[in-house]
Amino acid sequence: MTILEARNLRKTYRVSRSNTVEALRGVGVTIDEGEMVAIMGPSGSGKSTLTHVLGLLHKPDPNHGPAPELLFDGQPVTDLSDRQRTKIRATAMGFVFQAFNLVPTLSAIDNVALAAEYAGTSRSKARDAAGESLELVGLADRASHRPTELSGGEQQRVAIARALVNRPRLVIGDEPTGNLDSARSADILRLLRRLNRDHRQTFVIVTHDPEVGAACDRTIRMRDGLVVSDGRSATAAVA
Amino acid sequence: MRLLRNLARRRLRTSLTITGITIGIWALVVFSSMANKVDALVSGGSDYYAGKIVVSDGGFGGIGGQPMPIGQLAEIAAIDGVDLVVPTVAMIASDIQGVSFGPPDQIQAFPFGADQGRETYVPQLAQGRSLTAEDEGRDVAVLGTSIAAKRSVGVGDTIVLHERNFEVVGVLEPTLSTPDTTIVVPFTVGQQLVHEDLPSVIRDGVSADQLATAFIVYPAADANDAAVASAIEARFPGVNALTGDAYDASVGSSVGVFNSIIVGIGLVSLIVGGLSVINTMAMSVAERTREIGVKRAIGATRRRIIRELMVEAGVIGAIGGILGVAFGALVVVLVNEAGRSSGTVLFELTTGTALFAFAFSTILGVVAGIIPAWSAARLDPVAALRYE
Repeated sequence: MTILEARNLRKTYRVSRSNTVEALRGVGVTIDEGEMVAIMGPSGSGKSTLTHVLGLLHKPDPNHGPAPELLFDGQPVTDLSDRQRTKIRATAMGFVFQAFNLVPTLSAIDNVALAAEYAGTSRSKARDAAGESLELVGLADRASHRPTELSGGEQQRVAIARALVNRPRLVIGDEPTGNLDSARSADILRLLRRLNRDHRQTFVIVTHDPEVGAACDRTIRMRDGLVVSDGRSATAAVA
Repeated sequence: MRLLRNLARRRLRTSLTITGITIGIWALVVFSSMANKVDALVSGGSDYYAGKIVVSDGGFGGIGGQPMPIGQLAEIAAIDGVDLVVPTVAMIASDIQGVSFGPPDQIQAFPFGADQGRETYVPQLAQGRSLTAEDEGRDVAVLGTSIAAKRSVGVGDTIVLHERNFEVVGVLEPTLSTPDTTIVVPFTVGQQLVHEDLPSVIRDGVSADQLATAFIVYPAADANDAAVASAIEARFPGVNALTGDAYDASVGSSVGVFNSIIVGIGLVSLIVGGLSVINTMAMSVAERTREIGVKRAIGATRRRIIRELMVEAGVIGAIGGILGVAFGALVVVLVNEAGRSSGTVLFELTTGTALFAFAFSTILGVVAGIIPAWSAARLDPVAALRYE
């Protein structure tokens, strides 16, 4: 079953008065439920922009070229209001960032619970769900620690727990291993892979790291705002 | 808890902002308490002067003016529209005078029952009794509460006035107005005190029982107070006839200006406090741009971001309000206690003033938080996420 279907995605950013950047120049991708997909490509190829549009953080440009189409779970989402898109992000999506981006004043469990509260869960249930989610990433014993008291790998696992707390259909990772050394990076990758297999969660991961790409089911390669190749990774089938 | 941790994260800036608001609210509380006190004085005066005309020869309300021959009473009573005239003597109680805010301590006397029940301004007794007809000629006194406190005397004690010993027979309830600093003595005794106080050239020409310092005129029910006052002034050149309305107009309006100025000072300091809340919250938003971006990305609505930040600003305001009211109340209590011995009660802090100051401070914080909260909610989550 297809969870994400995108056609004709364009996005142009104005970087100064006379200078614009065409980050996406007509991209189409289809992602199936339960897939683990890597998006790879050189800096400036538009891969981050693509995840922002797929993650409903930005709308595709409506006004040049063929009309963009974006369907999440079969529903068109291009014309939704900010409030409606925020609600989908809160309930059906999870985000993992390169820089972890935990709230520094909150403990690990409160960081995770925050995402559950944004999805509409009551405060006490959100804490229970956060506890389970931390257990899933193997950090139950660090629940009351603040981000500054955790290592980079642990912080990223808290961020993953946060992304998973609402049992989202889709998890989007923007360089989730980018700030970690190779051992930690391999840990995180194994964790994502396990979650993908055990919970049938869909992962879309932007990465520079060939090992991450190799661990995924499929790699979408981008260059200059276009998809240049979209195919099954040879090694993933073996891994 | 989360909110307090957010505030604690920028401890110095938050405490400086709270200090700013505290000072503003402190100033508002202290100045408003001063204004309350002045208001109480004025409304006390206003109540006293209502429905009567005070006739005196210079001075104010019979104090500091020329003595008047009691024979004028009959002439005033004969004027159209005058229902009843009561003679009174009043003088400054010079031997217990301290530096004072408000009216000076004074001795006052009028014949018992002469008002025939027309006087409506009757301070209540806190202890002892009021003067009666039998007290005429005896050295007894009823004290205002401030004088009793200043002299540390109560019923049964003796108080020295103009080198005479007076037995205290009653103490009045506080009114925050003139009666607090007034000593009431029997009329004939008051006449003697005034007489003794006169310069010897004048004293030798009059006898004590012919003296009054003012006449209280109760106009007839259908008479026009202002017209009666003019008729009295026309009949006795140089004599001043003050009606309730004239008192309100002359004293009330100047006090109103004074009160506006002191409350204005408090408000100005609050505006400065409010601006510093805006500044603190704007800085806090700038500093947390990335965090706000993350929260938006993982599903916080704009409304939720606005609410979080406005509540935070409101808490800054509320903490400042509590501290400001507390320090203000402390100053009011300490200064009043220190001043009580010299009869200088400067402030009156009412519950209304305290609640207003606290509510004002909280609302100020919330309102000051609107602009930064709004700009935070408008952030593009992607741009905010990239923000370094």
